[in-house]
Amino acid sequence: MTAVTPAAGGGHRVLNVVRMQLINRMTFVWIPLLILGAVFVFSMVIWAMIPYGGPKYSAGAQALIWYLVAVGIQALTLSFPFSQAMSVTRREFFLGTFLTAAVSSVLLAVLCTLGGLVELATDGWGMNGWMFHLDWAWAAGPAGAALAVFAVAMLTFTAGFWGATVYKRFGGLGLAIILVGVGLVGLAALWLVGRLNAWAGVFGWIATAGIVPLSLSLLGIVLVLAATAFAMLRRLVP
Amino acid sequence: MTHVIEVDRLTKRYGDTVAVNEISFTIEKDVIYGLLGRNGAGKTTVMSILTAQNFATSGDVRVFGEQPYENARVLPRVCFVRESQRYPDDAKPPHAFATAKLFFPNWDQELCDRLVDDFQLPMNRRIKKLSRGQLSAVGVIIGLAARAEITFFDEPYLGLDAVARQTFYDRLLEDYAQHPRTVILSSHLIDEVANLIERVLVIDEGRIVMDETTDATRGRAATIVGDADAVDAFTNGREVIHSEALGRVASATVLGTLTDDDRMALTRAGLDVAPVSLQQLIVRMTQRAADERRIREGALR
Amino acid sequence: MIDDGRALFLQIAESVEDAIIDQSLAEDAQAPSTNELAAFHRINPATAAKGVNMLVDKGVLYKRRGIGMFVAPGARRLLLDERRTAFADRYVEPLLSEAAKIGLDADDLGALIRERADAQTTTEGSRR
Repeated sequence: MTAVTPAAGGGHRVLNVVRMQLINRMTFVWIPLLILGAVFVFSMVIWAMIPYGGPKYSAGAQALIWYLVAVGIQALTLSFPFSQAMSVTRREFFLGTFLTAAVSSVLLAVLCTLGGLVELATDGWGMNGWMFHLDWAWAAGPAGAALAVFAVAMLTFTAGFWGATVYKRFGGLGLAIILVGVGLVGLAALWLVGRLNAWAGVFGWIATAGIVPLSLSLLGIVLVLAATAFAMLRRLVP
Repeated sequence: MTHVIEVDRLTKRYGDTVAVNEISFTIEKDVIYGLLGRNGAGKTTVMSILTAQNFATSGDVRVFGEQPYENARVLPRVCFVRESQRYPDDAKPPHAFATAKLFFPNWDQELCDRLVDDFQLPMNRRIKKLSRGQLSAVGVIIGLAARAEITFFDEPYLGLDAVARQTFYDRLLEDYAQHPRTVILSSHLIDEVANLIERVLVIDEGRIVMDETTDATRGRAATIVGDADAVDAFTNGREVIHSEALGRVASATVLGTLTDDDRMALTRAGLDVAPVSLQQLIVRMTQRAADERRIREGALR
Repeated sequence: MIDDGRALFLQIAESVEDAIIDQSLAEDAQAPSTNELAAFHRINPATAAKGVNMLVDKGVLYKRRGIGMFVAPGARRLLLDERRTAFADRYVEPLLSEAAKIGLDADDLGALIRERADAQTTTEGSRR
């Protein structure tokens, strides 16, 4: 049996990791759509039942956020060991998985933006009910809203993935310590702001920054988390 | 004689425990190896390190002449079938096989389908709902159908009943005969696999204690049974790795191949000779090594 | 039956030799292939191959390229001679020891052998 040299290069195999994640379309496609659809339907029903003429808002989108955290966690706890069994390198797994998450996030962003446009056109589904078109999110138009959804989706997935990686690498104690550490850094930053008497400046920036810079900051956090997760992944035993 | 794997003074430490202790060995191309030893001897650790799923503390490992870690040239030519493999949530067997097809260049779908039939694997049930045996079957099927040039089977048949295990052995030999590949099979069911493996690697407490052809181990030891005095007379000066006595009858397992002269002497002395199976040989040798270790440690105190 | 005490490849070779001796495998007939032997005995094909190669080296089998292994002419004679030499070591010695244990000397043994041999030919005769 002659040795078969596999497709040279990671590009081909990274795409195969995406295909691997999507082979069972439930996780990255159907369930998020299902959740979104369910939240939408429930919201509509509730709005129809409430005899209130003013604007009504749906908080149901949170369900989707928690689900994405779970997807991020399982991408590591279940898909990673399986990818190792498939003789995939950690780099290929990481790139392919994040690419899948990105594609999923784009899909979600497009759907939410379309939903928002329809919402706007129908004046809140004829009930003054708003799930997609939230004024502060749409301040920069549909593009800004799409970016915001993309950023939030990526952040929640990455947070789940990062947390699971820390847990696997350093154990429960390690995760707790790191979270405490991050919390301390956050507190230190707040203290610094107070010392520099910069609260007004900070709030001012957040208020006027607009959705696009905020989304980009979130994506910045995503990059940091992803990079540190990869560093830990390189030494992780499945 | 091509070496597809070369291991040089591989050591793995977990804190104070040494799981693998400076082991060195080579694996030849297209040979079926048995990686044998007790539970916890270090078999899985070694295989994990060879497939870059775990990391050595020190020492050198080369697969196809290169280091396997994050090596996309080497890893797709290797397949590691674990004892308890985790699969994505909600995945069903066809998903697992479709994924394997993506990543293993030599994947044979026809063989996969045949094996699914042989093992009567329910294709429509989620993997997490499969029985222990069916879960093992998934792994075994992937390992066989992937036709990876180096395939590791780490006790993959736990949960498989004797019939299914025999099916695995038969299919493995059949495929190996048509499409030779390097196979490393770890097992503690030594006698079951003794006829399949061409070479034996025995690991005990992190060290290699045997590295030779299976045929060389046959006749390596013999059990002499009969009158206690006669047995003692014969075993005098020989290495005895196990002995038992019941009344006037004694049995002693002696290390060392019996010559024709030996056999004639035994027959004349009225002693019976029983062969020692590979399993018995390994058990007795590792027991003796453990006893010697205990004595050494006791003496040090 | 595979015996744990002796090299597997030798036992495989012997099983082929036995077939040649009892003439179930005729000279110039095709011998079972390595893979057939391996599958039948459920052993590693490489081990079966070792046994077959040994027989080729011994002159019991020869290879016809592209077709397979065949029994060499004169193989049976070769094997019979070999077996007869080993016979004395393997069977006569233990026989004498066992006989001694139960008080039979060489003459007693000879008479017993004669007696049983005659009995066997009689039964074979009555069977015909």
